[in-house]
Amino acid sequence: MLKFVVRRVLWTIPIILLVIFMTFWMMRAIKGSPFRKSERAVPAAVLANLNRKFGLDKPWYVQYGKYVENVATFDLGPSLVLRNQDVNDIVKQHFPVSAQLGGLAMLLAIVVGVPLGILSALRANRVTDYIAMLFANLGFAVPSFLVATLLIYEFAAQLRWFPTNGWTSADTKVLPVITLSLGPLTYFARIVRGQMLETLQQDYVRTAKAKGLRWKRIVVVHVLRNSLIPAVTAAGPLLGFLVTGSFIVENIFAIPGIGRYYVTSVQGRDYSTVMGITVLLAILIIVANMIVDILYGFLDPRTRDART
Amino acid sequence: MVLNPRNEEVREVTVAREQEDQTFAAGAAISQTSLWRDAARRFAHNRGAVIAIAAFVLMLLYVIIVPWVMPYDPNAVDFNLAYISPTWAHPFGTDEFGRDLFLRTALGGRISIGIGFAGTVAIMVVGILYGAIAGFVGGWVDNALMRFLDALYGLPYLPFAIITLAIFGTVNFWTMVVALTIASWFTTARVMRGQIISLKENDYVRAARAVGARWYRVLFRHLLPNTLGVVIVFVFLELPGVVLGEAFLSFLGLGINPPKSSWGSLAQDGYTQYLSHPYIIVIPSVAIAWLILSAFFIADGLREALDPRTQAAA
Repeated sequence: MLKFVVRRVLWTIPIILLVIFMTFWMMRAIKGSPFRKSERAVPAAVLANLNRKFGLDKPWYVQYGKYVENVATFDLGPSLVLRNQDVNDIVKQHFPVSAQLGGLAMLLAIVVGVPLGILSALRANRVTDYIAMLFANLGFAVPSFLVATLLIYEFAAQLRWFPTNGWTSADTKVLPVITLSLGPLTYFARIVRGQMLETLQQDYVRTAKAKGLRWKRIVVVHVLRNSLIPAVTAAGPLLGFLVTGSFIVENIFAIPGIGRYYVTSVQGRDYSTVMGITVLLAILIIVANMIVDILYGFLDPRTRDART
Repeated sequence: MVLNPRNEEVREVTVAREQEDQTFAAGAAISQTSLWRDAARRFAHNRGAVIAIAAFVLMLLYVIIVPWVMPYDPNAVDFNLAYISPTWAHPFGTDEFGRDLFLRTALGGRISIGIGFAGTVAIMVVGILYGAIAGFVGGWVDNALMRFLDALYGLPYLPFAIITLAIFGTVNFWTMVVALTIASWFTTARVMRGQIISLKENDYVRAARAVGARWYRVLFRHLLPNTLGVVIVFVFLELPGVVLGEAFLSFLGLGINPPKSSWGSLAQDGYTQYLSHPYIIVIPSVAIAWLILSAFFIADGLREALDPRTQAAA
């Protein structure tokens, strides 16, 4: 088991290096020189100085090595647009907001989505199931910008229960968290339902039934445990969902998080910030995948050998 | 007691297979298309899937036909006609410039669905190639390709789509297709590899190799055609993602720009005035939801029809 954990942890290092490398190349493909695109003509000497300051005059492998070194020491470099501000400052300022938004949305998704999936499976092909699955499918198909707009229209503009935007007091957080949780929530509901239906077909459930166990006990002891474990693997794609969703939600609700800042940075051609945030998000997801894999290895020993 | 909803269907299929066996025993010719005919029959019995395909076709007809028959100019500005609520002359009303939204939604749909289909084809081509090479060649090539895929797996597509658009420097139909494809083909590649590997173990493939079939004949004659069912299902699973991705990018103002319109840019347009005229954002969003839901149910129906025993995680 220890060997499995160590191998899995070590394996994330080349993955992270690879993803940084790809992001690095993509950013180089845009940049050429970030200063050439400015409105004013920059004198050649100044340009050379700027290039030297940001290390752009070195060969690519030196730049890449330097960048990896910086990332490893949690230094994402200076912002190309905001003078005297480091990408680190930007991350420090905006990331906690996004993390809170995502965390709360995830919590809501689990608290509502998992029971919804269980209920749906236990009442398979009955009215409860149909209603739950209709909701799950709508939540998956209706774009989050419509959900957000309708929520704002009804609960902020009409009823005035919540403010329309911002991220300060608790009541500003209700609508964005609901909007962001909808995708993961319906995803959980569908995954759990599918797993439950599969587990209910297993021989050991039939055996449990045959030996006269009470249905409630069968569900709790045999079915739930074996159905919810596979749902843990859903956490990987879910983080991607949250990142994508936060771009939209933070923009609509004017929340000062990473997703909103990312869009602003792209529009302002602040590529070092874009790169820093991309690398950060990628590392976050890679590490989350690693944790899920290890957790899953603990919960279901059969998978230890199959996965690296 | 809880019944598997598919039990009945499985039994039905078994009966059908038994009948087939009997015909075979009687010496009648076996139809070569029996698998597909079987699947078509099962699909036709699935009411949700049939409704979904009708809804899907209806949407396609709407975006194709309406721009031909509507008498309005989609870009003509006439402030006398601004903000007309839905009427017979303007079924979806008009926007702040007096442009007919029934027409503009159809035109936006052409771009959104066009990007959706082109992106899906690109995802399929890249995913199938990658997965087929990994699965077919095997060994260290497979190992290397899969480790690389592991590295990319789970990365959110939106940041990479945004960077890709920045690399191109311009936003048009084809750059959008590339941007939405670049980080979206991982699942398809994984599934294709699994398919090829499991098909490779079949006796008919061994037999083909044994009689000296070249690798390309094995791959193109025996392996790839048999993945067709999975490929078709995946087309309808990937399409919603691409359409939604386009909508998100355009909504953020990073995608399709005026005067061109897509469902995403129409929604953005509606978002700026949702307090006074909420219907403007609702219309393109419902169109998106319509397309996504129908594609999703078609995929679901196809999956059950093509392989009634397995139930892949959605």
